[in-house]
Amino acid sequence: MNWWDDALHRATAEVVLAGALAGLVGVQVVLRRLSFFTMALTHATFPGVVAASIIGVNILLGGVVAGGIVALGVAALTRRRGQDASAATGVLLSAGFALGATLVATQSGFSRDLSSFLVGSILTVGPQDLVTTAVALVVVALVLLAGARPLQLIAFDRAGAEAAGVPVARWDIVLLLTLEVVVVTMVPAVGTILAVSLIVAPAAAARLWTDRLWPMTALSVALAVGSGLAGLWVSSRWNVAAGASISLVATALLACSWLAARIRLLPARLAAA
Amino acid sequence: MAALRYAGVSVGYDRTPVLTHVDLELRAGQRLILVGPNGAGKSTLIKSVLGLVPVLAGEATVLGESPAAARGRAGYVPQIDTLDADFPVSVRQVVMMGRYRRIGWWRPARPADRRAVAEALELVGLADRAGHRFGTLSGGQRQRVLLARAIAAEPRLLLLDEPFNGVDAVSQEAIVRVLRELSAAGTALVLSTHDLTVARELADLVCLVNGRQWAVGTPGETLTAGKLRSAYGGGLVLVAP
Repeated sequence: MNWWDDALHRATAEVVLAGALAGLVGVQVVLRRLSFFTMALTHATFPGVVAASIIGVNILLGGVVAGGIVALGVAALTRRRGQDASAATGVLLSAGFALGATLVATQSGFSRDLSSFLVGSILTVGPQDLVTTAVALVVVALVLLAGARPLQLIAFDRAGAEAAGVPVARWDIVLLLTLEVVVVTMVPAVGTILAVSLIVAPAAAARLWTDRLWPMTALSVALAVGSGLAGLWVSSRWNVAAGASISLVATALLACSWLAARIRLLPARLAAA
Repeated sequence: MAALRYAGVSVGYDRTPVLTHVDLELRAGQRLILVGPNGAGKSTLIKSVLGLVPVLAGEATVLGESPAAARGRAGYVPQIDTLDADFPVSVRQVVMMGRYRRIGWWRPARPADRRAVAEALELVGLADRAGHRFGTLSGGQRQRVLLARAIAAEPRLLLLDEPFNGVDAVSQEAIVRVLRELSAAGTALVLSTHDLTVARELADLVCLVNGRQWAVGTPGETLTAGKLRSAYGGGLVLVAP
């Protein structure tokens, strides 16, 4: 029997790839403070994925198109002065979710698939999903590597980046579309809704441990992959939903990192007191 | 060739002028100080030179080209509070950002770039802080790091937006000293400030603005009680220097 024929083996490979993907893009999300936007993106991806599966086209395509529309919409709204981006983002978040739920309700006998879109179904991951995730990982890694300097400059000093001639708006769109590709690629592993925790939590935890960008990136990837593997193990050991346990492990890692950071700071505070 | 020439220029957003009637000419090595109250249009004027705010009327030339064509060639020191102080970046890395245009966005830094970064940090007196995280420095030190970043880019025209805001006396002195050295070496400087004392001390030319240009000339010609009162709308209480 081929190693890949085992569902758990495929699931293991998928969480490693999806974890690396989430950890990489998560650094950008945390440093650019895009967590809330990512939340909206995941909810907007949901109706796209559902619509694609109803029409019978690739769900990846449906998700990218729906999320892309939202990403560009929010980008356009935030470029207009006087617009409150968080209000627009918040409304899009619930509207996207409502649209997805409505689409699901129009189809009878769809309820089982609904939860797989929302929270993933890692044990049904096929070879095709693995190939997609691997390709997405390579492409996203290359984009982030190629954009490392402009993205760093824009995140740190937007006005300075503009003055230096960096095409800031173009890089914003590249980043939002990259994020969207990551969210959609992660649907089989953790679903649209739970993708946020695997993207944000490891990167936010990594930020607490280091003040340097490259170690932060490496640690973020390691923590995300670790969350994926640990969550998968918990899921198979106690027979609970994999997507949920992966999210919970990632959240626990963030909580522990935060606690550790507080304790590390404690001696300095006591000395100062 | 003038580093900067504005003739009858209006600048602003969405076709609404923020600042009008700007007539300036700045040559290599000259220091121009923009003086005016909050919201007078000083930052907008600086951004128009950088090609980030459109010129609505008149003729603007920056380093011999239109501001849009010259974009990226003029150096810029933004206000420090527009930067992300939590960002994981060291002082040395911030100054290296000034070299990106020379290095290219993808090539690794060369020894010459590292040398330029070290020299710029030396010049602003922060060589010993190179390894520190940018956000751990004081406001004045951050401002000096940004100045070092601009110097590392070796621009012929350098614009500074309120470089003395939230800056302690030691840093202010260091910045003034470095600015004098830069202009002595031929760099044309434009900076905005509220501080009339610094303006008198540092300027070759002062441009008094508030919605429009009210006066331009030497500090002695422009920073007079009458001209200041007309630009500030009578709300200004003058304190003898």
